[in-house]
Amino acid sequence: MLGFGAERLRADMNRLLALLFHQGVLDEQFLQLQQLQDESSPNFVSEVVNIYFHESEKLLRNLRGLLLDREFSDYNKMGIHLNQFMGSSSSIGANRVRNVCVAFRAASEQSNRPGCFRALELLEYEYCYLKNKLHELFQIEQQRILAAAVRYPPVQHPLNNP
Amino acid sequence: MSLMECTSGDQLEMVVVPEQFPAGLRVLVVDDDVTCLRILDRMLRRCMYNVTSCSQATVALNLLRERKGSFDVVLSDVHMPDMDGFKLLELVGLEMDLPVIMMSGDGRTELVMRGIRHGACDYLIKPIRDEELKNIWQHVVRKKWKVSKEQDHSGCVEEVDCQKRANDDVEYASSVNEGADEVLKTQKKRRDTKEDDDMELENDDPTMAKKPRVVWSVELHQQFVSAVNQLGIDKAVPKRILELMNVPGLTRENVASHLQKFRLYLKRLSGVAQQQGSLPSSFCGPVEQNPKLASLGRFDIQALAASGQLPPQTLAALHAELSTRPVGKLVLPAVDQLTLLQSSLKGAKCIPSDQSVAYGQPLVKCSSNVVEQNSQKIISNEDVELGIGPWMSKNLATMVPACNIGSVVESDSDKLIGFMQYRQQEKQQKQSMVPEPSRSINVQPSCVVIPSQSSANFQAANSPASVNQNCSFSRNSVMDHKNLQFQPNNSSGVGQSLDGEFKPSFIPSGFASSGSVSSSLSSCSINEDNNACQQVKNPSTTSSAVRQFPRTVPNIPCMQDSYNFKSAHALDQGPVRSPIYVDKVTSIPSRFAVDKQELLSNMNREKFYIENNGNIVKQEPNMDLTENVKVGGPIWQHFPTNDLMGVFSD
Repeated sequence: MLGFGAERLRADMNRLLALLFHQGVLDEQFLQLQQLQDESSPNFVSEVVNIYFHESEKLLRNLRGLLLDREFSDYNKMGIHLNQFMGSSSSIGANRVRNVCVAFRAASEQSNRPGCFRALELLEYEYCYLKNKLHELFQIEQQRILAAAVRYPPVQHPLNNP
Repeated sequence: MSLMECTSGDQLEMVVVPEQFPAGLRVLVVDDDVTCLRILDRMLRRCMYNVTSCSQATVALNLLRERKGSFDVVLSDVHMPDMDGFKLLELVGLEMDLPVIMMSGDGRTELVMRGIRHGACDYLIKPIRDEELKNIWQHVVRKKWKVSKEQDHSGCVEEVDCQKRANDDVEYASSVNEGADEVLKTQKKRRDTKEDDDMELENDDPTMAKKPRVVWSVELHQQFVSAVNQLGIDKAVPKRILELMNVPGLTRENVASHLQKFRLYLKRLSGVAQQQGSLPSSFCGPVEQNPKLASLGRFDIQALAASGQLPPQTLAALHAELSTRPVGKLVLPAVDQLTLLQSSLKGAKCIPSDQSVAYGQPLVKCSSNVVEQNSQKIISNEDVELGIGPWMSKNLATMVPACNIGSVVESDSDKLIGFMQYRQQEKQQKQSMVPEPSRSINVQPSCVVIPSQSSANFQAANSPASVNQNCSFSRNSVMDHKNLQFQPNNSSGVGQSLDGEFKPSFIPSGFASSGSVSSSLSSCSINEDNNACQQVKNPSTTSSAVRQFPRTVPNIPCMQDSYNFKSAHALDQGPVRSPIYVDKVTSIPSRFAVDKQELLSNMNREKFYIENNGNIVKQEPNMDLTENVKVGGPIWQHFPTNDLMGVFSD
């Protein structure tokens, strides 16, 4: 039964991933990330993604601060933040976040304040969506690992009994 | 890739073991973005590299400084808060000569261009895939290979030098001039790793004055020739010549060796004269065997020679002319400039292709207006060269295996054409001032202008796409020139051939901004030279010229070495009869040609160049030029696209 659960969880995970890929939230870079995970670093993906979340939230805070704080926003600095955001997003395969970053940067280069605000909101939305979905993914994965871990004893005992 | 995976070990010694090679490559990753840093670190470890990651550029720089030699390659982000990635790149290039790969999420062309200009050996755009990282070892190998090749090459030159010295008694060795070759070589080596910005630093290179040798500058050679003439070629002995020349620091041995060469040279010339039209001269043979070299220069005389359009003796005469070329070690690759020049010429004026030009004009005629105008544009001029020079030297690097006379002729002909172009241009300008047809004006008595051959022939002989009508025009002029050079030899023998050869040499020396300026030059050339000095702030003696150039005009040395490379080749080659001339041959005129082209082309460029002046141009002049084009948009209007691309796209 429990082994069954692990399989189901794996299927859930795949379905979710497929959805995210279909929506363009993630791209193949995320698969690269998954491939980098192995026995020597079993939590590599979640580790990196957590770093990404941490950094991204800092960047989003900074961006919002830059846009809100002053009359005259420092678009240059904004551009630097956005570049970093773009770099990290694309590195983990957060495709949609990255795309919004590109639009945001274009707006900031034109010193288009309303455009920047719109882009920032969109960015925050996309980021939250990504974060939720990835959390969901990691949760399923955790459950799956747990399920897989507890699977062995029940499987082995019934085999021994008959 | 499986090779890498089956290996472990993290020592650089792996380099010698091919199958294990990339494993253990010591990589330093610098990125302020910890997400990327983590991913990169992981990816690089997967490639079996020995990874050190660092999230701050300053820390990375300290690491690099403290542990010199413990990294093979540096991967650096572009945007970093504590230090710009380009700055780090620059410092790394300056201090430790490591290949640096830039990375950025921002793949906009100008940024990539900037990275390349700062000397990045690669520019990876995020997201970085492990396929790209698996390949970064190539930059390490390339760098090492390049360095070792250069060392090999210089070693070979040295060797040949020594041999020569043994053969010809004492040659070159003297304190008259500092070892220009050495200087150039050193610069060549160093330039590969350093920014042009820092050319000033190279000044202090202790190895620069390593080996003193005589550089037979035009001026010196003139003194020599007049001494010989005074004594008579048969009665001239080194001691007497030395007395007559009265040059401090020059030794009897120098003179003896030079005299020996001079005699051989005369002999060869008269020999060629007798063989007119029949036997291929020593210059022609290797040229034909060397299509690769020929393709190097877009305006390959070799191609003409090989296709039978150009009689061998004209090539020889061409060489003769070049031998008397001024000595400034300010050598520029003429080829590239030529194209520009030609295109500018084309843009500026429509030149009838059957026009022939006189070469024996006295310098007085050379309108000072022109030169003055030029001098205003010195900054831009440098930049043009900058963009071009390294490309040349790069190409030249490919010439290394092909050590033969072909390369001499090749470089010479480039210069000659450059010179021709310059003259041509001069004529053009004169034309514009004085509405007078510029056909065969011939002032110097020893020079005969021969009607040019049909341009169609030349056109047919041209293979490169960048050749246009102007080009064929210049070919004609080359032809003329050589004929003109040749004629006296042929008809009047040695004594007069002297005249034929050396009188024209005044003309180039006039244009030379090199250090060959001296009181012994005729007043008109001094006039010219003064202008030249204004332009490049040239010191007035040859010896100091070389060393001071880097200080005053920091960008020039890269030109020098690109050509020096050639000269070194010339020295390599035993069969070359007058390597000493080759050594000194200058393409200064072409530098001026660029000036003029500048003049002709556009003011917009000037603007651009000024802003670009401080920029660092390194080994990717290709890119640079395209950028020039990009930034200075109007340039396109003046240079036919195919011309530009023809030269720089390969």
